[in-house]
Amino acid sequence: MGNRQNGRFHNILVGYDGSQEAEKAVEVGLAMASTLDSKIKVLAVAQPSEPPTAVELQAVVDDAREHYDNALRRIANSARENGIRIETAIAVGHPAEQIIRQAEQGHVDLIIVGRRGISTFAKIIIGSVSERVLRYAPCPVLVTR
Amino acid sequence: MENVWVLAAIWVGLALIATLLAIWLKISTALTEIVVGTVAQLVIGALAGSASLGAKSEWISFLAGTGAIVLTFLAGAELDPAIFRTKWKEAGVVGLVGFFAPFLGCGALAHYVLHWSTRASLLAGVALSTTSVAVVYAVMLELGFNTTDFGKGILAACFVNDLGTVIALGLIFAPFTMRTLIFVVVGVVVFAVLPFLTPRFFKKYGGRVSELEAKYLLLALFAMGGLAAWAGSEAVLPAYIIGMVLAGTVGKDHVLVRRLRTLTFGLLTPFYFIRAGSFVSVPALIAAPLVFVALFGAKSLTKIVGLFPTVKAFKYQAQEGIYYTLMMSTGLTFGTISALFGLNHNIISGAQYSHLVATVIASAVIPTMIANEFFLPKHLLYLQRVEADFGKTGATSAEAAEGD
Repeated sequence: MGNRQNGRFHNILVGYDGSQEAEKAVEVGLAMASTLDSKIKVLAVAQPSEPPTAVELQAVVDDAREHYDNALRRIANSARENGIRIETAIAVGHPAEQIIRQAEQGHVDLIIVGRRGISTFAKIIIGSVSERVLRYAPCPVLVTR
Repeated sequence: MENVWVLAAIWVGLALIATLLAIWLKISTALTEIVVGTVAQLVIGALAGSASLGAKSEWISFLAGTGAIVLTFLAGAELDPAIFRTKWKEAGVVGLVGFFAPFLGCGALAHYVLHWSTRASLLAGVALSTTSVAVVYAVMLELGFNTTDFGKGILAACFVNDLGTVIALGLIFAPFTMRTLIFVVVGVVVFAVLPFLTPRFFKKYGGRVSELEAKYLLLALFAMGGLAAWAGSEAVLPAYIIGMVLAGTVGKDHVLVRRLRTLTFGLLTPFYFIRAGSFVSVPALIAAPLVFVALFGAKSLTKIVGLFPTVKAFKYQAQEGIYYTLMMSTGLTFGTISALFGLNHNIISGAQYSHLVATVIASAVIPTMIANEFFLPKHLLYLQRVEADFGKTGATSAEAAEGD
């Protein structure tokens, strides 16, 4: 848990996957960070397919890193122009797990994630990211839609 | 079907369907391609005859075989050679146990319980002996262990495990004649020369639009594959070893690796995995489901029995719970290559092939599903284990080890 005092969110973590919902979550996060003078971290996660297979895994990780590099750079530039303290990172793994892990290690006070529908089968295989984050998060979670 | 282009369109269409399924369901393309191949053979076979899909035609066999060779080469090239310099002892022992335990255990079950022939039982042992390097590596990346000594040691063990599988596949079923000896001697020379020759050759002539590097590598893979086939062995054996010996040079050339991946995923591996799936007989699986259950149980049990004391012997008390479990996962690539080799060489029947491929798929999918359903977040599981073993202070070292 972070060092939240007087109900303030000093450290905000936003989960980002490049989707419209994630862009909205980033918008909300940046607005809150600007208003509350908080530090924000935008985390993108390269998610290997299930089950991970030879060669395909490294290809997924390489492609995701390349893709997220550009998007995160754009978000970071926009935030800094508005005087917001921002950090970006790319992790590998299940998005919910990586978001929770970063929240614990970074002493995050608030997690913001976008919610979007996934197929029932995908839900069985990988689970809903926002549901998992809500279930395991060590701090308040804001789900945008 | 005689029209090559129509047949090609059908296969590429199936590959496209498999890729879309993989994207929608967020599962691996190899898995969807196998399943699509099985379903396509069922449907097209029922509508237009069992040979209509053309899975046994020469050109499809060639593309599928090339897919297996290049994929195996790329898998070998993902090895980090530096790992072996520091962790060769642990990697060797854990990897060999990881190979021999299921090889002997599943082989014995196939022979004494399922009453398969000796050669079919050995093939079953080989097909189920593999460990999915990718599954282990994925969790390493998630937890940041890929940069630690512990993580590197386990990853190296997985490579040794799979090396045991391809060597067993390449040599157990070979007739052991003068040809085998020539193959081994020439292979040793080529494997020794390639790491020196390749970077120098690429430096002098590479980096042009004519894709000299790809042609050079395909020449090495086809030539050694041809020699292996001539000796009655399997082409993926030299491909994997060539990948490993070139891991420090070609494997680090990201642009070249990406170009090879495009060729592999875009054209070759769909033919390989769809073809492998098309030979699976669903009726055979339904007729004897207990065979699948027995093979899957034997695979999981032998991995645990073999790896648990071995990993513990190297004082990996805190983490072994996760990793020996992960090493139970079977690699789809080597598992299906082994089973298909057995089918192509009449070592196993169509029904036995179907059971082996079903077991390979299940042992790749089920541990992943269980881990995702019951053990997320994995890092919490890991920290809990550390705390249980060492007390709260252990968590600090665990966090320090995470560096992704």
